[in-house]
Amino acid sequence: MTPQNQILLIPKIERGFVIDHIPAGLGIQVMALIGRWPELEDAVVTLGLNYKSTRMGRKDMIKLQAGSLPPRLLQMLALVSPGVTIKHIDNFEVIEKVVIQVPELFDNLARCLNPNCITNAEPHVATRFRRVESGSRHFQCAHCERVCTLDELAGHIKV
Amino acid sequence: MKKDLVSIDDLALESILDYLDLAARVESMSGAEKASLLPGRILATLFFEPSTRTRLSFEAAMCRLGGRVIGFSEAANSSTAKGESFSDTIRTVEQYADIIAVRHPKEGTARLASEISRVPIINAGDGANQHPTQTLLDLYTIRKFFGRVDGLKIALVGDLKYSRTIHSLCRALLLFEGVSMTLVSPETLRLPKYLMKAAAAATATFRESDSLAAALRECDLVYMTRIQKERFPDLVDYEKVKDSYRLDARMLEGVPGHFKVLHPLPRVNEISPDVDSTPHAGYFEQARNGMIMRQAIILDLLDARPGRSAT
Repeated sequence: MTPQNQILLIPKIERGFVIDHIPAGLGIQVMALIGRWPELEDAVVTLGLNYKSTRMGRKDMIKLQAGSLPPRLLQMLALVSPGVTIKHIDNFEVIEKVVIQVPELFDNLARCLNPNCITNAEPHVATRFRRVESGSRHFQCAHCERVCTLDELAGHIKV
Repeated sequence: MKKDLVSIDDLALESILDYLDLAARVESMSGAEKASLLPGRILATLFFEPSTRTRLSFEAAMCRLGGRVIGFSEAANSSTAKGESFSDTIRTVEQYADIIAVRHPKEGTARLASEISRVPIINAGDGANQHPTQTLLDLYTIRKFFGRVDGLKIALVGDLKYSRTIHSLCRALLLFEGVSMTLVSPETLRLPKYLMKAAAAATATFRESDSLAAALRECDLVYMTRIQKERFPDLVDYEKVKDSYRLDARMLEGVPGHFKVLHPLPRVNEISPDVDSTPHAGYFEQARNGMIMRQAIILDLLDARPGRSAT
């Protein structure tokens, strides 16, 4: 498949955002996250799955015709799919490109995996998960101190 | 700024040593001197699950410092039984008390309380997570008996997998120089691997052993814990190991004079009553030290250390 064929499959957008380098298979999960924001309800969204990628082998990609992205959505992307690239598009050109990194702290984004953690008994309590050490994919609940992996946390995103 | 005691992991070695020194100072004071330290101050003991030593030692600690105590000893006696949230209970009690000690079966409650409350919070046990005052009193007891913690050979015996007391004590001992820990437990109740790994970054060492008798010969003290029947999925396995680590006076024959036996209590059958009358029994003095250490903690958190005017 030539690059031009790919463009035909997922056309360029005039204005909005491209969420690129989503690991293959996670695109639908990222779409589900986008669907949580009422302000993005009217945005035109294009989802591309399983593209060939020299860096990743296979990847998913989403193009979103919207004026802005909610900051909390970006935080959730850092949890579900760190390493994705966000390209800000204006007049068909990339005007800004950001790679989403794993942060040191997830503030009230996910539920604790420990069913006996007080944050699960009192869901109004804001959860916090701190990275155990720099570069690690392990996070510790600030309340019950249980340590879990980034992937485990991603499976417990707050509704 | 308000201070709390939620997790032993929040304390650096210097802070731990400071608590040990403060407890020694409190212990050296006369009853009358101590009783003049916290007049008019109120400690709330919120015990959402039963406890004997921890609750009573907190209450005795506060009373002997001249303060007063309010609280409840089980959730059924609180508004929790009517459906009140833990957060609301804390927001209410902080209106009445100067300091709050809380025990709760759910993990993370003390941390949450410390975030909500404007008065100091002491974690008196949050589920299977932390029990920092127990760790501090254990360290105080060890230092009192041996004059030091550094370089001691300590056998930890029993349920090393689930015991929060053991986990917290291990983490604290790793901060000291060259402590050698011998871990004696059934195969199914070994110390979690993540704690074993933590030793790699410390000068302390871990060694696993199946033999209590060998540990008695090699160590300076033995820290016994109860093997908890409810932890075994298969009761046949429990029956196999329940008496594996039962200590009696005969087994202590030949240990050095300074050898000590500690236990957080309550004991069931892991220490025979005939050990009580030997010079090696340290567990009742350990229980007494609990009151002294809790006095030190209360004084520190209320910024009312002896020789300093209370604010």
